[in-house]
Amino acid sequence: MITVTINGKGIKLEKPATVLEAARIAGIKIPTLCYHEGLELYGGCRLCMVEVEKMPKLQTACTLYVTDGMVVRTESEQITKARRGVLEFLLINHPLDCPYCDKAGECELQDLVMKYGPTTGRFEEGKRKHPESFDDPIIVRNMERCVVCTRCVRMCDGVQGASAIAVTNRGSHSFIEPFSSGEYNCEYCGNCLAVCPVGAIMSRLHRHAYRAWQVEQEVNTVCSYCGVGCSMVLQVREDTIKRVIPKIGLGVNKGLLCARGRFGYEYVGSHERLSSPLVKKNGKLEPATWDEALTTVANRLKEIKERFGGEAIAGVASPRCTNEDNYVFQKLFRAGLGSNNIDSSARLGYAGAQKYLEGILGQGATANIISGIVNSEGVFIIGGDPTHINPILGIQVRAAFRKGVRVITVGYTPGLERFRTAGLLPYPYTEGMLLSGLLEELLKIKSLPGGNKAFEAKINEFKRLSAGDIEKVCNITKEELSQAAKALSDISSVSMVIGRDIIQCTGASTNLFLLAAIAYILDARVYLLSERPNEQGLIDMGCLPDTLPGGRPLEIGSFRKRDEDVWDCQIPSKEGMTLMEIIESANTGSIKAIYVMGENPVYNLPDTNFVKNALERLGFLVVHDIFMTETAAMADVVLPSLSWAEKDGTYTNLERRIQRLRKAINRQGMEDWRILSEVGKKIGLKMPYNSAEDVMTEISMVSPLHAGLTYEDIERGLDQWPYKGEPLRQGLGVGDRGPVKIQMPGHKGRLYLSIEKPLFHSGTLSRRAQALNSIYPEPVVKINPETAKKFGLKDGDIVAVTSSKGNLILPVRTDKLIGESIVLVTNTFKGKGAMSLLSYKLDPITKIPCIDAVEVTIEKVVNI
Amino acid sequence: MERVLLKNIENPNSADIDEYMKVGGYRSLPKALDMQPRDIIDEVKKSGLKGRGGAGFPAGMKWTFASADPKFPKYLLCNADEGEPGTFKDRPILEKNPHLLIEGMAISGYALQAEYGYIYLRGEYPDAKHALKKAIKQAYEKGFLGDNILGKGVKFHLAVHQGAGAYICGEETALIESLEGGRGQPRIKPPFPVNVGVFSAPTIVNNVETLANLPYLIEIGADAYSKIGSPDCPGPKLYCVSGHVEKPGVYELPMGTTLRDIIYTHCGGIRGGKKLKAVIPGGISTPVLPPDKIDCPMDFVNMPKHGSMLGSGAVMVFDETVCLVKVCYRALKFFEHESCGKCTPCREGTGWLRSILDRIERGEGREGDIDMLLDVAGNMFGKTFCPLGDGAASVVQNFIKHFRPEFEEHIK
Repeated sequence: MITVTINGKGIKLEKPATVLEAARIAGIKIPTLCYHEGLELYGGCRLCMVEVEKMPKLQTACTLYVTDGMVVRTESEQITKARRGVLEFLLINHPLDCPYCDKAGECELQDLVMKYGPTTGRFEEGKRKHPESFDDPIIVRNMERCVVCTRCVRMCDGVQGASAIAVTNRGSHSFIEPFSSGEYNCEYCGNCLAVCPVGAIMSRLHRHAYRAWQVEQEVNTVCSYCGVGCSMVLQVREDTIKRVIPKIGLGVNKGLLCARGRFGYEYVGSHERLSSPLVKKNGKLEPATWDEALTTVANRLKEIKERFGGEAIAGVASPRCTNEDNYVFQKLFRAGLGSNNIDSSARLGYAGAQKYLEGILGQGATANIISGIVNSEGVFIIGGDPTHINPILGIQVRAAFRKGVRVITVGYTPGLERFRTAGLLPYPYTEGMLLSGLLEELLKIKSLPGGNKAFEAKINEFKRLSAGDIEKVCNITKEELSQAAKALSDISSVSMVIGRDIIQCTGASTNLFLLAAIAYILDARVYLLSERPNEQGLIDMGCLPDTLPGGRPLEIGSFRKRDEDVWDCQIPSKEGMTLMEIIESANTGSIKAIYVMGENPVYNLPDTNFVKNALERLGFLVVHDIFMTETAAMADVVLPSLSWAEKDGTYTNLERRIQRLRKAINRQGMEDWRILSEVGKKIGLKMPYNSAEDVMTEISMVSPLHAGLTYEDIERGLDQWPYKGEPLRQGLGVGDRGPVKIQMPGHKGRLYLSIEKPLFHSGTLSRRAQALNSIYPEPVVKINPETAKKFGLKDGDIVAVTSSKGNLILPVRTDKLIGESIVLVTNTFKGKGAMSLLSYKLDPITKIPCIDAVEVTIEKVVNI
Repeated sequence: MERVLLKNIENPNSADIDEYMKVGGYRSLPKALDMQPRDIIDEVKKSGLKGRGGAGFPAGMKWTFASADPKFPKYLLCNADEGEPGTFKDRPILEKNPHLLIEGMAISGYALQAEYGYIYLRGEYPDAKHALKKAIKQAYEKGFLGDNILGKGVKFHLAVHQGAGAYICGEETALIESLEGGRGQPRIKPPFPVNVGVFSAPTIVNNVETLANLPYLIEIGADAYSKIGSPDCPGPKLYCVSGHVEKPGVYELPMGTTLRDIIYTHCGGIRGGKKLKAVIPGGISTPVLPPDKIDCPMDFVNMPKHGSMLGSGAVMVFDETVCLVKVCYRALKFFEHESCGKCTPCREGTGWLRSILDRIERGEGREGDIDMLLDVAGNMFGKTFCPLGDGAASVVQNFIKHFRPEFEEHIK
């Protein structure tokens, strides 16, 4: 117990604290500028100076730790003079352009000067000049306003880990600048501008568009981009999002955001948004009334059901839609259309992997708190770069490494270059073999824990590769492998971060079996990287062909019965088709109608031409979307839905936290759940909902996982798995897997196409966000400089990337971190998506389309 | 007094190891290695040796703190970033007598059980860099540095790191930050370097001259050593004298020699028989003294009693022809240029003071400018993180204190 006296008030402290923290606990305000919670202490601005007994000089409250019996005064004549002096110093070189500065009204310097500062300045010499910099596409830097508090640098370096900016120069010529102009390491997270107390670093998105006091509404919601589910505040004026800011201390992101989250909101106000329902007439989509469109959908679906049975209808749900949307979606199918043919793009990785791992490790095996990563002793990462796919999770990995946690990565993880203990870079497509070797090495050190005997028997009978084999085929030395195994096995808590690349490849289920075995032996916390905001929620809502809401297996009659009672219907007991099976069946003609909600299969699934042909054969295609996507353009009926900012609901993130989405903007139209309800009503279903909350009430009756859960509960913080529900913890499956095939590594000289997961894009939405486009404006093909040299290419050359499925004409960009046989293309830009070149094979167990080892050629295009 | 620190430097090859050994070099190291580390520290404590960098902190006490920290490894850093204007006392040791420093560091390294040492060298001392590198190589060859020094199982490695020209890197925490590859800026204390220094390890930072005292101290023992010079802070001291004296240069004299003795006895008095106007006794950051205050003994204890500080022992002498407003202006120009930019008062205040002094010096000063100088300096003094801001403010305060009429004359 430490006792400190501040301004005569006795304060008792349990833990060591600075004078500033102690004063705040006691409700005593000390002005600060360079101090920011969550950043390393600095003590540079000298505003928080206080008097401490027995210390001759004034002390900075932010850096001085209290000692027992310390006596502090925060107000005195001497302190007032010192503060006024500091503020006068801060203003001598400041342009005093508040009337023009966007920060006015929320500027900390302005507030401090109004409260403590001198009324007039005495400095008469010329002020320091520094031109405003518009070098960055989305950030404007005005260094005349800078107070060199270095919050931005400490954020960029110490928290974000990008180290893109630094204080350059010295003394009164200190400026915050990129290390070098042009190409630098900026991740455009904008966390620097969020901590800037003045108008020195600002976003260009809302430049001169509004002032802080003109915000009409601040809406707490969750980000729409990835599966981390960052909390954010939308600042709204005149039904337009003016700015997105994080809230310190709130949500999984604790005051941080990434480029997509902070700057990617502009798609909401895009002029390309669909506004009217469209119905195909004479081969052309024509505007129609809601009633006409909804009646057409209901009638056509009814017809097809009556003629061919429910099995002829399939639905593609959306990991971008809310839990409520997805719940109503599967209800429409199961209860209304009599079909279990429900799947989504989560099939491409997350859903298959999640189900598989839960089958062995128990339900909730992947429901681990992101902040737990930093508290583990080791992190093993495979299948993707978390700093790009789930940036805020990636920052946790960086923080862990800084703390001394061992970080081992497998594969291309450019964002963790400087944040790992070991980086294993096996030959392409030998990652699965590497896992087999790692398992073998682990079993040499650790014995099986004995919890799941059946699974252990499977592990024992699995023919594992030796370190020697690995050295031969994977290009990973015996020492590297055994060191990795040792580093992971002699600690008590390991986090395993698994990305899609290790799942959507040949032998997907074998890889998952090995990952499960390694997680089982190490008792690791598993994190599945999730590229969409509600992949987990969609699974929990039952948008899977074999699973009912709450993760209950469809095959068990008692589970079906429970839902049938609520829905007052008969649920077909036959398992439905998975995503690619649906497309394949459309192609063969057994699927007659597909209902797509907020998804773009033509663009987002491999083998575009095949998908297109299959959809063309359908008798009926209906699409809900906010944009005229490649898929919507083929539909018979297109229904415009509302975007994430225009509706209420919930998302469930990758750690299985359920969070509220709140309506911030009024827009004419219907939420997806409402559209579905209207269709449902027309085919005779009971859809008793007036609000998203009503849907949640029904979910809480149907899904044992969400039993009794209300919006109020979520609001109160009862948002973390397993809520109030009853998880199925037994799940001690053995993990069926496909045959083990030794994949041969890429033959030297051959090139294979892989999908780049850029930090700045996600696809259909992000390509309509101007800010993100200004950072990553055009599709490129990324290759290793050595590969470029071999083909006589240089940066900017235009090449044709050709696979057996087609070709894309793209400019070359070199990146030395990419493997020499890998060609990277994003799946983002219109008509230039990597998926269009990929072919696939279905994994027999998980039905994940495996899209690896697709060979391509690159050839320079002359005279384009 | 026999010369200790500048021994043999008339010899053009004094930097060579053989020449150094001819005059008794590397005899204290084996003696020290036969002692217990603890005993060496006690010896240093007993000797009363005070750090020669400027603050005069007792070396033995600093060593005790670092030695008491249970963490290993520990590091020994030599502060050779001699940047205080007017100071060039370490330079002859670095260039002419590098083995004295190396021997001193090897002894200190052993005493502190540090296995690695760095010499953080001023960027503008290229000759010293070559001399040190050559000397370190020779010391390795002769077994005075390395994994097994003189076969006694003691390990000590030494390397030179050259700074990039920032004055602030003479401040020990900024030096550490810079050595680690960071921007030269002071670090928050506590923790102090003796507990959390370079690479987060317990670290001793000592000045060149301090470490160069070690071989002699070990040779003659603490009792004999403490009898040299001032009883309160004994030992030989290097005074570097510049400005308007007949014989400027570096003088090795017993600690506590008076300023008058230094100027008039050793340096031959004011050049051309002119009158003394002012003396800065210990580098630009120490308070200027008028001619009537030069009878003070130049040591760490007595100088503060006479209104100044010993600092680095860099005596700057100004005769009657000098414009002190211009000196003050030049000093502030220096501080403005060297302020690291961390603390607001120093970053902005140095430039402001310089600009007021500039206009006074140009004859454009106004009434109230002197009071404004004092007010601005007052807003800086004691309000910055490291002593750079205090130094800048105190130059203005002390020049005005002793020579206000000259400032007023400029304004009238």
